[in-house]
Amino acid sequence: MKTRVTTHRGSEALKINGVSLRVGKQRYLGASVPRCVVFVLLAVAPLWAQTTTSKTREHVQVLASDRFGGREAGTDGERQAGDYIAAQLARTGAKPLPGKGDMFLPFQFTAGARDGGSTFSVQFDPVNATGAIGGIPQNGQGNNNIRALSFSEDAEVTAGVVFAGYGIVVPDSQNFGYDSYATLDVKDKIVVVLRYFPEDADKDTKAILARYSDLRYKAMQARQHGAKAMLVITGPRSPNAGELVPMTFDTAIAGSGIPAASISGSMAAWLFQSAPKTLTDAQKDLDTGNPHTAGFAIPNTTVSMKTVVQRVTHTARNVVAYLPATAPTTNVQKPWIVVGAHYDHLGRGEGGNSLATKEDAGKPHVGADDNASGTATVIALADAVSKMPTRTRHVVFALWSAEEVGLVGSAEFTNQPPVPIEQLDAYINFDMVGRMQENKLTAQATGTSPSWPSILERANVAAGFDLTLQEDPYQPTDVASFNGVGVPSLSFTTGAHVDYHKPSDTADKIAYADLDRIADFATTIVRRLMESDPPQFAKVEQSQQGATRTGVRVFTGTVPDYASNAKGLLLGGVIGGGPAEQAGMQKGDVIVEIAGQTIANIYDYTYALELLKISEPVKVVYMRGTERRETTLTPSARK
Amino acid sequence: MLRYPVMKHLVAAAALACGFTAIGLAQSAAPPENHERDFLSRIRRLTVEGRRAGEGYWSPDGKKLVFQSEREPGNPFYQIYLMDLTTGDISRVSPGVGKTTCSFINPESGDVLFASTHHDPTSRQQQADELKFRASGQERRYSWDYDPEMELYAKSSKTGTIKRITNKRGYDAEASYSPDGQWIAFTSTRQAYERSLNATEQKQLETDPSYFAEIYIMRADADGAGPRRLTSTPGYDGGPFFSPDGKRIIWRRFDEAGLLADIYTMNLDGTDVRRLTDFGAMSWAPYIHPSGQYVIFASNKLGFENFELFMVDIDGKKEPVRVSYSDGFDGLPVPSPDGRQLAWTSSRGGGREGQIFLAQWNHDAALAALRNAPPRRAR
Repeated sequence: MKTRVTTHRGSEALKINGVSLRVGKQRYLGASVPRCVVFVLLAVAPLWAQTTTSKTREHVQVLASDRFGGREAGTDGERQAGDYIAAQLARTGAKPLPGKGDMFLPFQFTAGARDGGSTFSVQFDPVNATGAIGGIPQNGQGNNNIRALSFSEDAEVTAGVVFAGYGIVVPDSQNFGYDSYATLDVKDKIVVVLRYFPEDADKDTKAILARYSDLRYKAMQARQHGAKAMLVITGPRSPNAGELVPMTFDTAIAGSGIPAASISGSMAAWLFQSAPKTLTDAQKDLDTGNPHTAGFAIPNTTVSMKTVVQRVTHTARNVVAYLPATAPTTNVQKPWIVVGAHYDHLGRGEGGNSLATKEDAGKPHVGADDNASGTATVIALADAVSKMPTRTRHVVFALWSAEEVGLVGSAEFTNQPPVPIEQLDAYINFDMVGRMQENKLTAQATGTSPSWPSILERANVAAGFDLTLQEDPYQPTDVASFNGVGVPSLSFTTGAHVDYHKPSDTADKIAYADLDRIADFATTIVRRLMESDPPQFAKVEQSQQGATRTGVRVFTGTVPDYASNAKGLLLGGVIGGGPAEQAGMQKGDVIVEIAGQTIANIYDYTYALELLKISEPVKVVYMRGTERRETTLTPSARK
Repeated sequence: MLRYPVMKHLVAAAALACGFTAIGLAQSAAPPENHERDFLSRIRRLTVEGRRAGEGYWSPDGKKLVFQSEREPGNPFYQIYLMDLTTGDISRVSPGVGKTTCSFINPESGDVLFASTHHDPTSRQQQADELKFRASGQERRYSWDYDPEMELYAKSSKTGTIKRITNKRGYDAEASYSPDGQWIAFTSTRQAYERSLNATEQKQLETDPSYFAEIYIMRADADGAGPRRLTSTPGYDGGPFFSPDGKRIIWRRFDEAGLLADIYTMNLDGTDVRRLTDFGAMSWAPYIHPSGQYVIFASNKLGFENFELFMVDIDGKKEPVRVSYSDGFDGLPVPSPDGRQLAWTSSRGGGREGQIFLAQWNHDAALAALRNAPPRRAR
């Protein structure tokens, strides 16, 4: 008799000519079947491997080719990649969203910063300057010898000058006495500080001081001590002696609340002419790490400075199209399903997020896995959805840009939704799905709806992934934008790998057969969503899987909006059940003070967290719209 | 078949519900080399929804799996579900009220057999009480109560009607069909309710009713009439399944104290009892591979809370071979009808609760390992 063996995928049958024992209708590969035959047949590749053409390979290969130069948001490569995606979506029959002329939804974002013409001049009091080193100093300007720090406020300041050593303040909570401002009065002065930290201190001291030597932190300290501005000098005994601080751009673009600039070594020497010590001697004393070495006022000296930072704004494009429902949706609750992936990447890695080795630095980061893989999945999904005979809901295919600089594209969509948010049934995201190993797939943000386990279980029966569910929606991917506005969301990933954020994340390393399976799986999920009532949104409570920051052990349950320009810390959300929510705070609030520390930006906030103690209530001042509010927040332990 | 309501006293499938603390055997030696991949590949979690799931049994064509799961609000007890392995569709088989356990698909008719208490008028109250207990934050040590209201039911695959099969005071559960669908083997404590018990026995019934559980078989179409009792040793006999040729029954037998269990087979009339295991541990949940050549079962030999899958040749002549290597619970193994997959219940997905896992089963490697196993050690 013929024994019909059906794989669990259901569509492939192996017919094996063998004798099996008759046991009711229970059939199996009985002992009398020649072993060799059976097991040769068992070795037949799984069905998905027999697929003649991949649904995803070509898309990944095109998107991750050098000609798109790493698809950095706002560049030509990103535009070309967007054109390719739009053409692919158009091929499936997808259309621009209602009311839109095409699939491109442009938005502006801050892509970098440069000095916009800062100026610097020094005036000496001619009467009282006679004791100065090297004779009577000359007034003058050094406009080529100043560069604003990227987080500087734009301002013009004229004031006396105080040298505050390295400008480091270690919080009391660290039980390590070091306060560059301990004996100084810098109120309404321009503070001059050295870059880095004491060069000759012992290893343990350096380890602590290094933590508080970030220029953002130094600027915050200067501001909190009442200074009008901060000047930074790369000391003569430091690496890069005398050099200006490069205008690096970080994605948290909020200003520091104080004008801040670096000046060159020659300008610094000039500035120190009437100081009690030369800069070199002063640094030498400080470099021991001795906490009692104090700074000093520089007498008879007035600095006039102007800082101008030009933030470079670029335009990027989300590519968004949809396949409409095949019947009127008037009686369908929440008739829009959104599937998405970001298609931008790091360009040549100059934006600061590259992990390229020295040899590879500057090469295109083609991002085959991150995230040509997710983009290809969405295109393949559009193909599959376009072939569905009936669609009870509209399906939006959204490819985000500027994800790598802070989820900007998806946030743009959810902040100015072209489809009303309350009409969105669900959002499904794909970010880095091309490197499947051992059949493992992770579904993130499953806590955003009680329906997800049920939907995933059923869809995965046939798909057959070794599927892990993570409830936490507070992920560094676009799913966070949708969770933030209350849309039940899912994000799939096959996880990080050694080529993450490197030029070596190339198309030849993608597991295409598995990527195709993910596209099939996603199609099943979309079909099940169409056939079901809308999943209910659930706010995920404070999670043990939340992002952790080394060194920060307290938990406040705040979700900072990294892309914000706001003065203070704009909350992109609060974690359900967390201390911030319990204190009555919500998404959109701007924290301006916590535990007596004024907060101008995320960095201030991060430093302020160091001062908090678990279970010790602190006062928080925040802005809700134009209203200034106060509350008490009790930090809990970060798990 | 309980298959896993085995849990008595502190005996509990760690994964499945209990919270008992480790009193396991200390394992001081270096961890053994992991051979799980020799036998199991493409391991994945099949059930996801709900708090717990377990005891998956295949339809004869391998296209469906019937299982129990706690997954609906309002009922903290298991209900029975049928999963279509091709489409992923899942439907509830049992009425949704009360407790259920131990389902099985009739190989001929496709009817689904299960044990249920839904006829008990106190069912809803019991559900509410259990939910209230949970809400109080307390944790119960897993205890299967051998509810004497537990009766066997079969749901017709054609009409969808649920027919009551047994109607006797006492726990009737752990039932399975013979390969031809004509017979049902099951576990029952009815003997304790049919006769007058002496004082010692009465006390025993109150503290540990499973002591009275014995193996019975009956005609599947006989509406519960005339079951024949096959076992009579003191202590819990349970979890019977037919061999693939329908000629023998495999089950697990506990000692009188209910702490140790071993795997046995016997003829359908209770004769020719053969013992297959002798670990001095709790070895249970046996299922014969469709080749008829060996048995896969669970044992806590390696630590009281650490149930692992083992296999042993059908005659129990060789020392059993370890199959799974995962802390916590691995048990209730059921090979697919083609012998190429294994469904089992495991806590390897995290937490204490079990879910059903699925893997490719390497029959060839299993046979080779069994061939190479040393003769069974006498304890």
